[in-house]
Amino acid sequence: MRTLLVWLAGGLTLVGSSQVALANGWNMPVGVSTLSGEIYGLHMTIFWICVVIGVVVFGVMFYSLFKFRHSRGAKASNFHENTTVEVIWTIVPLLILVGMAVPATATLQKIYDPSEAELDVMVTGQQWRWRYEYLGEDVSFISNLATPRAQINGEEARGEHYLLEVDEPLVLPVNRKVRFLFTSDDVMHAWWVPQLAVKQDAIPGFVNENWVEIQEPGIYRGQCAELCGVDHGFMPIVVHAVEEEEFDTWLAERKEAAAEEAMGIDREWEMDELMERGEGIYSSICASCHQPEGQGSPPAFPALAGNEQLISDKDWHVNKVINGVSGSAMPSFRNTLNPVELASVLTYTRNAWGNDTGEVVQPAEIAERLEE
Amino acid sequence: MWEVVKSVLAAFLGVQREQQRLKDFEKGNPVAFIAVGIVMGAVLVGLIVLVASLAAG
Repeated sequence: MRTLLVWLAGGLTLVGSSQVALANGWNMPVGVSTLSGEIYGLHMTIFWICVVIGVVVFGVMFYSLFKFRHSRGAKASNFHENTTVEVIWTIVPLLILVGMAVPATATLQKIYDPSEAELDVMVTGQQWRWRYEYLGEDVSFISNLATPRAQINGEEARGEHYLLEVDEPLVLPVNRKVRFLFTSDDVMHAWWVPQLAVKQDAIPGFVNENWVEIQEPGIYRGQCAELCGVDHGFMPIVVHAVEEEEFDTWLAERKEAAAEEAMGIDREWEMDELMERGEGIYSSICASCHQPEGQGSPPAFPALAGNEQLISDKDWHVNKVINGVSGSAMPSFRNTLNPVELASVLTYTRNAWGNDTGEVVQPAEIAERLEE
Repeated sequence: MWEVVKSVLAAFLGVQREQQRLKDFEKGNPVAFIAVGIVMGAVLVGLIVLVASLAAG
């Protein structure tokens, strides 16, 4: 009877502590995609199998320690091998493992089947931001951390979504199968959104696939899950899941804006509009290395403010931004920014912080450079 | 021959009777064990591939 009570208490403690863990959000979320609930169920099934095994193994062990203790005059029996017992303790784990593999494999097969997707989104990681491209729709943009520097530096109180907010979220429709293609421009990153049950490596030179069908509209946040450098913690992911009609409208608007932007390449731009645009791009893309005031952080990240070579040699400057500097942290922005954005940020860096070259870099000349 | 197969199967599982082990080591021919081991290893791989392709198909 006493033994039974001990067992019961032990079991209740385990169930109780697991409920506490669930309530505190320590467990993985159930999620909002068609597969996330299934993955959660699998996780819990295997968790409980492990709990039962743990209780049985440690129960037998502690029971034996207690019952056959030395002070009660227990004598160790001295024998060698018992084939029957050995076979049983080999076969039982084998059956348990196979039993766990069957449902796990069934779920994995579904995860690895991105066929019949209605929308393809290319996700490219780069130090330290994500680029999203709606394949076949001519819509692409980069998604940068939106948390103000002052909060990161501890000069301001942290906001609700500290380091989990971006300037441009990935917008996706609900109830449509969306296929993701993951790759990277530089080092390995990983795109991880717990609520979508998607965690996939983005590897340079490889394309990994995954897919999601979101069932509830909402805002879902995630982070890079592969240590990728100094700003690894500063490249969050925000997915904005919206109703299908809302998504179609959004995509049409973005397409139109992209087409308009393409038209803008040919016209003559004013210094002021390029400066204004360039400032925004500089602070979201360049400032993490070259610093908000262009002072850089030598020797890794050279200063731009008062940089003699930059001021005197426009061609050199344009080349560095378009093609990057191999062997350094400076990436190529050829595919990341469009000609208007490149011209804006070039004009800005050639004229801000006392670099008063007075030169306007026109989108048209950048477009020409890109063709070469 | 059947004795050798049984011993290799026992080795796959990792459990063997002490009696049988002594017998194998005294009377067995190592070449037979190695050959049967390789063949049955290949059979095991084949079986796993078969099960996996059945599951995937």
